[in-house]
Amino acid sequence: MKKLIVTRRGLLGATAAATGIAAFNGPWKFNRVYAASSDKPIKLGLTSDASGQYANSGASDRRGMLMAVDEFNAKGGVLGRKIETVHIDTETTPATGSRVAERMISREECGFLIGAVSSGVANAISQVAQKYGTIYLNTNSSSPTESGENCHRVKFVWDGNGTNFAKAAVKNSIDSFGKKWLLLTNDYVWGHNTAAATRELVDEYGGEIIDEILVPQGTRDFSSALLKIQQAGPDVVAAAVGGDDQKALRQQVADLGMGDKPAWINNQQDWPDVYGLPLDNLFGVFGTTWYYKLDLPGVADFVKRYQAAYPDTSMRVPGNVFYNGYMATRELLRAIERTGTTNNIAVIKALEGHKMPAAERMQHHDAVIDPVTHQVQQTIYLATANRGAEDPDDMFKILTSSAPEAVQDMGAQGACKLESYADTPTLDV
Amino acid sequence: MLTLSDISPRSTAWVTPQMLVLALVMLSAPLWLGPVGLYQYLGIEIAIWMVYALGFNLLFGYTGLHSFGHGAYLGVGGYAFGLFQHHVGTSLVGGLAAAILASALAGMIVAAAVSHRRGIYFALLTIAFGQVFWFSAIKLHWLTGGEDGLLNIPRPALDLGVVQVTLSDNLSFYYFTVAVLGLCVVALWRIVNSPFGRILQAIRQNEMRASFIGYEVWRFKFAAFVLSAMFAGLAGGLFAMAQESAYPDVMSLHQSGLIVMMVLVGGGLVSFWGPVLGVVLYFVARDVLGALTETWLLWYGLMFVAMVMFRPEGLAGVLHRLRRRPPSAAQTRPVTSGGA
Amino acid sequence: MIQLAPHLFNGLTLGLLFALIALGFTLIVGVMEVLNLAHGSLFALGAYIALSMIDPAWAQETALGGWWLGLPITARYGVALAFAPLAVGLAGMLLERCLRPTYDKAPLYGLLLTFGAALVIEELIRLGWGTGEQHLPVPDGINGAFFFGGLIFSKYKIFAAVFALAAIAAVWVFLERTPYGAIIKAGAHDSEMVRALGYDLARLRMFVFGLGAALAGIAGIVMVPIWGLRPHVGIDVVIPAFLIIVLGGVGSFWGAVVASILVGLAVGITGAYASAWSLMSMYLLLIAVVGFRARGLFGRKSALER
Repeated sequence: MKKLIVTRRGLLGATAAATGIAAFNGPWKFNRVYAASSDKPIKLGLTSDASGQYANSGASDRRGMLMAVDEFNAKGGVLGRKIETVHIDTETTPATGSRVAERMISREECGFLIGAVSSGVANAISQVAQKYGTIYLNTNSSSPTESGENCHRVKFVWDGNGTNFAKAAVKNSIDSFGKKWLLLTNDYVWGHNTAAATRELVDEYGGEIIDEILVPQGTRDFSSALLKIQQAGPDVVAAAVGGDDQKALRQQVADLGMGDKPAWINNQQDWPDVYGLPLDNLFGVFGTTWYYKLDLPGVADFVKRYQAAYPDTSMRVPGNVFYNGYMATRELLRAIERTGTTNNIAVIKALEGHKMPAAERMQHHDAVIDPVTHQVQQTIYLATANRGAEDPDDMFKILTSSAPEAVQDMGAQGACKLESYADTPTLDV
Repeated sequence: MLTLSDISPRSTAWVTPQMLVLALVMLSAPLWLGPVGLYQYLGIEIAIWMVYALGFNLLFGYTGLHSFGHGAYLGVGGYAFGLFQHHVGTSLVGGLAAAILASALAGMIVAAAVSHRRGIYFALLTIAFGQVFWFSAIKLHWLTGGEDGLLNIPRPALDLGVVQVTLSDNLSFYYFTVAVLGLCVVALWRIVNSPFGRILQAIRQNEMRASFIGYEVWRFKFAAFVLSAMFAGLAGGLFAMAQESAYPDVMSLHQSGLIVMMVLVGGGLVSFWGPVLGVVLYFVARDVLGALTETWLLWYGLMFVAMVMFRPEGLAGVLHRLRRRPPSAAQTRPVTSGGA
Repeated sequence: MIQLAPHLFNGLTLGLLFALIALGFTLIVGVMEVLNLAHGSLFALGAYIALSMIDPAWAQETALGGWWLGLPITARYGVALAFAPLAVGLAGMLLERCLRPTYDKAPLYGLLLTFGAALVIEELIRLGWGTGEQHLPVPDGINGAFFFGGLIFSKYKIFAAVFALAAIAAVWVFLERTPYGAIIKAGAHDSEMVRALGYDLARLRMFVFGLGAALAGIAGIVMVPIWGLRPHVGIDVVIPAFLIIVLGGVGSFWGAVVASILVGLAVGITGAYASAWSLMSMYLLLIAVVGFRARGLFGRKSALER
């Protein structure tokens, strides 16, 4: 057993040579054993973006994963095996995501893939991963489709999604700001999904949507939209604008001083996107899953460990993207430890329904990996700009925290159809 | 400087020695891809992009029409293939035919608007149309899945009458794409060396003279454009199979620019085989450099700039010169690029 | 109900900003018949150099740096607006040196070389300044908002539009009313004549390219407080600049200005009535105009049609 190392590559080559060209009708579902030897490292493929729109968040995501890996290696690895990582840039481009996933699985022989910010890239990777049975952790893409219609048996989603944030925000905001709402929506899938979730909740709590302004993806000048908002005069603007568009919008709302009136409800603000910017850019109320100044045990120590691990980075404190990368990786490695095997089905089963105590995740409520959608159900925080803080890094003021049950995305429950275990190829790395 | 008409021998043969070399390399690839540190899936992408690049060069190199929005037809082909599988029925031939037809249609619409244009105006209109297609792919998300892409596209089996060959594993799909590539190479070789192909080259060299001889130039430009879009559509259909999904990004200006870059670096302006070399160089450079450094685009960009400055005839041109010059002379004389 | 007037005004402002973006691009196309695809990267480079001048990261540690940071933001911004474009102009001249081997070849080669240069400059920006979003501070006097007719307008937007007008006028005066401008224009149409008169054509081209690059840098410094600053900010520049040139007609200065205003109005008005189509409107405008007038609104025959 120990010396029996069969690489798929060698097998394919031999088969090709033996059977000629088109005769190879290889088994679609193959069960693989790369190596059962206990001294072989466990290899993680890091699929975070290093160029394109999400390059900066991708770097933060990756630092989180690496810190978790380093902590496990420092105490001797997992199951006595060292953990190795390989990173390839997914360029914020889905087609590249597919190719990188193929390469990581078939050439680098990675047993697990981790990392995404863009939902398109996450989809592309998870399709390839499902084909091979490789477990994939979507760390930071907050599209509701990720744990809804595009869910997969091998994919686990670690970020809160648009619906979670909308649920946390809408009722509070109707009560405190008013009933006349206007939606400012990026005209693409994520924008429409998030806006639809908000619309449903506004109706449910007795508010009224007076208009929806669609802005195309790639908009750099929001002046006409902002003029229309002023002409319509809503109490609340719920913005589902993402990526670089959101950065331009922030800048222009801040410049006009429109951040306070009307009230703005923004979706999640990723820490790497706002770190170091003037506070005016953080207008309105927005969501996050974690903040480095949460008043909870362990947080301060976590920040210290970050600063010791990354003394040179310009981002001096960790944010939500780093946090998700770290937590996802740590929970994966713990699941392997718990099951005592790297068998993919065993690890999937260990992750499904797994409860993570609030203290361990440094959040206010216990979190759980939903076995139906594979999304982590966790505490959702609402925050706003922290004006008057002494420390320039202390940018957020946390307003509320919502328990996972209160903000659960029920739509995803209905939309997600996971592949059966039998339809997922088994593999052991 | 060299041109396509200087190097490519005016062959009427169906199969040339270069084709045999390509066939040998591609067919044996599964044996050596692993040992040299590459992987099967990369071979699939390379074969598909060769189809795309060779078809593109019919327009770019042979006819001298500089399209900067060609990714649109690759994208249209991919969506057509996927939509056919989802809404009509799971069929390999049907899907690929749909891909070719849809991109031909898209190509005709654009060609009707651009085939009377020349030079910069031609290039710019292709960009504008390319952007409209890309934008539409994102906007019509009920049809295309928007930026999430059209997902779960199956790889239908190849039905040879007596036997069904599944293409769901990467090795058999690779051989399928190589077979398609082979057919495309022969077809394109016949096209460029036919009377039609000669007229296209005459148009590149002097459009006015070609029209004085009595050819209705725009009809030939139209035909070249549509043909080239059809090859892109075929490649798009294959790409959708490879990825089992279709995404709008391949239609972006950036991606359309990359195919121009590949064709030019490979030497598409001086040789039929330029696009093939360019695709191999780009994909291997991306894979190898990309794993070594995150700033691989910097190095690729610098290489590209140097190439345009010093070796504008591309890899194929360099190889051609090396072959034609006696080895001793090549060592003593500095290699200089020819005048215009 | 939507009032149209503010949206028309907004469209006009946008148009002037588009003109500023396209100015350097137009100059280089018109005079040298080179399509400079590195325009967007030079635009970004200008903004990043200005950032380093206004708010240098190293400054706090040295006495000189401390003194510089002690100066009012208006002074630092003014210095950056004057000198950062010079640095970009130098980068442009370097790029022009690289372009020389392509002059006797088809226009395609110039375009491809600048495409490669754009990749290189953007990657260098990532290495030098990092990948994150940054903020370019502006003086308080042009920051913030003012009320007009019950609506809020951005002071900075108005400043940028006025600046754009001034830049357009300055370039026009330079080209039409100075001897240098006359030589440059002559060089565009008859390089033999310029040589025969004893002017150095190589230096002339280098100067024009440097000037075009500097204008790209200026546009970057002015636009970035509206768009935000990130390494790939330049990709949003080249396409509008391209569209404007073709719409206005290659080689026509006023064509480009008129085209910019038209694009601005198209984006502004669709923004009011059918906001989801506001970006697409540019392309549809282009296809509509160029479909009827092959060389754009005011185009002349040019070497780029080869």
